[in-house]
Amino acid sequence: MLIDCDIHVTYGSLGELAPFADPHTRELIERSGVAGLSMPTYPWVHPSGWIRRDTYDAEAVEAGTMFPGFTLDQLRGHVLDPFDVAFALANPDEAACFSVLPNPRLAAGLASAYNDWLVETWLRHEPRLRGALVVPAQWPEAAAAEIRRHAAGGHFASVFLPGAARIPYGNPVYDPIWAAAAEVGLPMAVHVHYEGVGTSGPLTGAGMPDFYTEFHTLNGASLQGHLVSILCHGVFERHPEARLILMEGGLVGYVGVLWRLDQNWRATRSEIPWCRRRPSEYIWDHVRFTTQPLEAPDDPQQLAQALAPLHPERTLIYATDYPHWDFDDPDQTLQTLPAAWREPIRFRTAAELFEVPIPAPA
Amino acid sequence: MRTLRFPRSAVPAPGQVRTVEAGGRRIGLVWLDGDLHGLADACPHRGAPLCSAGTLVHRVESDGRRVVRREPADQLRCPWHKWDFDVRTGACAEAPRMRVRRYRVWLEDDEIVVSLAPVRDPTPAAELDDDRRT
Repeated sequence: MLIDCDIHVTYGSLGELAPFADPHTRELIERSGVAGLSMPTYPWVHPSGWIRRDTYDAEAVEAGTMFPGFTLDQLRGHVLDPFDVAFALANPDEAACFSVLPNPRLAAGLASAYNDWLVETWLRHEPRLRGALVVPAQWPEAAAAEIRRHAAGGHFASVFLPGAARIPYGNPVYDPIWAAAAEVGLPMAVHVHYEGVGTSGPLTGAGMPDFYTEFHTLNGASLQGHLVSILCHGVFERHPEARLILMEGGLVGYVGVLWRLDQNWRATRSEIPWCRRRPSEYIWDHVRFTTQPLEAPDDPQQLAQALAPLHPERTLIYATDYPHWDFDDPDQTLQTLPAAWREPIRFRTAAELFEVPIPAPA
Repeated sequence: MRTLRFPRSAVPAPGQVRTVEAGGRRIGLVWLDGDLHGLADACPHRGAPLCSAGTLVHRVESDGRRVVRREPADQLRCPWHKWDFDVRTGACAEAPRMRVRRYRVWLEDDEIVVSLAPVRDPTPAAELDDDRRT
């Protein structure tokens, strides 16, 4: 049994959302620019392809295609069936950038259209799939309304926010989103996406990197920034039911950041009295980290030692990142971790988070 | 030594990889420098279908100033993580512990002969624990 907390689905072109969009958003999708609306994208391009080469026909896609589509049957054949997936979380690809559009009304309209498209084209057809609800982070009230709109549907298992943001997610401006997510019982999932693109802040304080290699190495910095913001703003004090998943930002880096945050908090806690406990203590009850792309030092023991302070048996949940190029095969990847961590990471911790029933042993 | 035979027509064109089923394993055949090379269809890193979905690419090298693209295309690029493996040696230059399993392959009359005994490479290599993906 496996719970895969990060697979990606996408539309082939933005025009596929038009039938699901409100009239104004549909007008902009169809009439903007030269041949319809297009989204901002990364200035860095993977030099040999950012999608698994066995998920699309390179001869058939048009030059410059960003996200070649794949089918539900492919997902079943590559991931759901061979790895005995009981539950998989469908995260967006291009739709992750709606939150870094300058126009909040367009972002809200696109997010609603995308969520309805996701239900009708993917989620209704595969009971093992649940969606990540895309919301417009730049308009928290609209995001909260979108969360409540889908509360009763049962199709969504998380609220999705990209790592790219104008303001870190602990800031009180986002409280409507945190409140709505906690109210309907959905964890917030922040996934590295679109850092340095659209209206987001820079990838790091160092300035704009030159290479995709730099981008892909550093993009987890956004998640560290959001986590520290969320802890320092006392989000889990104001919303005790809130849960947070940090996706695809690496793992080892959090250890040093939390050590440093705890150390600073001892001296500076009068500035953030709402952070009542040592910041790292909120992690165990409220925060989970997806594994992919798992760091891979030459000596796997070094990884186990480096991750131990995160209590991986309580905090890590498995992710393949299908169909992206750095897909982690569960059977191979979990072998690099200590045996006692494998089952909690493979499904137990995520089953608790997403309330997925675990069959009793035969 | 257990061997399997395939018709000579299964020899791939230069620059192509052809995958054959042999004794329950999938083996990728590559024609390079006038020789036929056989590699397991399983990346030693994470088990990807290295031969059936991988791509033959050129090795790109630099001395720090000049960039050179080596001829011929002798690197098999994994479809997932994009690691490159040398067709002749099975080695990954960027990850010395990783080496894809190789099989001895040769032409005999009008047939391709594949030895199912993997080549024993002189240096230890991380390989998949089993053949379930090959």
